[in-house]
Amino acid sequence: MASAATMMLRNATRRSFVQMSRFNSPAVGSFRMLSSIKFAETHEYVKVEGNIASIGISDHAQTLLGDIVFVELPEVGDEIEKGETFTSVESVKAASDVYAPVSGTIVEVNESLADSPELVNEDAEGKAWFVKVEMSDPSEFDDLITPETYKASLHED
Amino acid sequence: MNCRSFSTQSKPKPKVSFLNLQGSGMSAIERLCLEEALLSHDPLKRSWAIVGTHEPRYNSYLPNPEFNTSNESCLIIMGVGAGGKPDSLLDIEKVKRDGVLAVKRFSGGGAIVVDDSTLWTTFIGRNDDFPHVDPHSESIMAWSANDVFHKVFANMKADALHHNIISSEKKNMVMDTTKSCQAALDNETSGKHPTEDNSTLQTTEMPDFALRENDYVIGERKVGDNAQLIVDGAWLHHTTFLWDYEEENMSYLTLPSKRPEYRGERDHDDFLVKLRSTYALGDDNSSKRAFFYHVKCAAFEAFELEEVLLKDAMKVVDDLGGMKAWFEGGCRTKILDL
Repeated sequence: MASAATMMLRNATRRSFVQMSRFNSPAVGSFRMLSSIKFAETHEYVKVEGNIASIGISDHAQTLLGDIVFVELPEVGDEIEKGETFTSVESVKAASDVYAPVSGTIVEVNESLADSPELVNEDAEGKAWFVKVEMSDPSEFDDLITPETYKASLHED
Repeated sequence: MNCRSFSTQSKPKPKVSFLNLQGSGMSAIERLCLEEALLSHDPLKRSWAIVGTHEPRYNSYLPNPEFNTSNESCLIIMGVGAGGKPDSLLDIEKVKRDGVLAVKRFSGGGAIVVDDSTLWTTFIGRNDDFPHVDPHSESIMAWSANDVFHKVFANMKADALHHNIISSEKKNMVMDTTKSCQAALDNETSGKHPTEDNSTLQTTEMPDFALRENDYVIGERKVGDNAQLIVDGAWLHHTTFLWDYEEENMSYLTLPSKRPEYRGERDHDDFLVKLRSTYALGDDNSSKRAFFYHVKCAAFEAFELEEVLLKDAMKVVDDLGGMKAWFEGGCRTKILDL
């Protein structure tokens, strides 16, 4: 996802966000014991449990998009790479690319979104996760933005 | 370029490359491939304005056996979501029986039928070039309607009115002398002039262009279909305007379950309008050229325009391995197996 807010966020505060994210990472050794959530500048979120990342779009993103009518789901086994498009969502007339916040292999796809794409509008950061990924580089999670920083950036718009 | 500029803007205009595909022999499938390449792989990150029609008989850039065996009268193009459920939007049996090709495009929206009378416009906007346009569907459509298409259709209307006046005057000149004298006598009595009556009548019969919900309309009827793709740092907005169409081709589309409120229960024939019914200037080719001329004039007014030749635009596709490699690889335009 991308927007004018994303542009401002990226241009103004990229370095400080990266530094803050690493400092605030709950990583313990190579494991992340607790389920923790972080966000990408392009409005995707990542929830991590162990080495598995659940990825979806943020609640803010679904508000910007409007009524979601379709989620193009990838397949189990697909490899995704951080920063690259891995799927798209469709609201009325517009398809919007969704970018991988971390790299890895897709181990599960949320099939419920095939018949009920409106779940994204109802519970974007809960039930409407898109994919679960076994991360190939868990340190990529550390580069993402904390929920507090992400929400603060939204208020700056 | 003979367009008069009425712009009084002092702020810089977005830099936009203008690509005219009229007469290029490029089919809709090839154009979709080109558009996606320009959006996502242009090393110069240009914004674009592209015009042209669907020319299905050539497929010069993407020869494919399926194209040669399919029904060339039209092509069905489905949005990224709609393409996953063709049976909900198409009369599959009829499409297969008639050998019509259906493809899935990279942008959103439903299903459309294109042929050589479809007028196709595309805008690719980089967020850096268009800071005044939020990269969301509503904002993009409002911008295109206000900054481009209102002017286009105002000029089309003026052309049509002028054409109608001229045609009426010519018709009057060949009337029987007796009838013309009688008509003149009648008009003198009523205080009206025949051509004034015609132009007044034509004005009231020409509803204005507008953006209604998410559609471009003339009055209460949809005049074309549009869709967008939004990526990081840019957006693409393309529209197919219905200059004319075959009713038989529209019968491949079923009534969609999700419809704009203003449509009601109207079927395609009652919901859609052919531009030629309102804006025809005599022969169709001249009229279509006039439409694209007015698009270019509107673009000239709104942007800092640079004309680009197709061979230069195709370099972006060439860098991806050529049209065939791009189509068979990362390009999201795909033929649907119905």
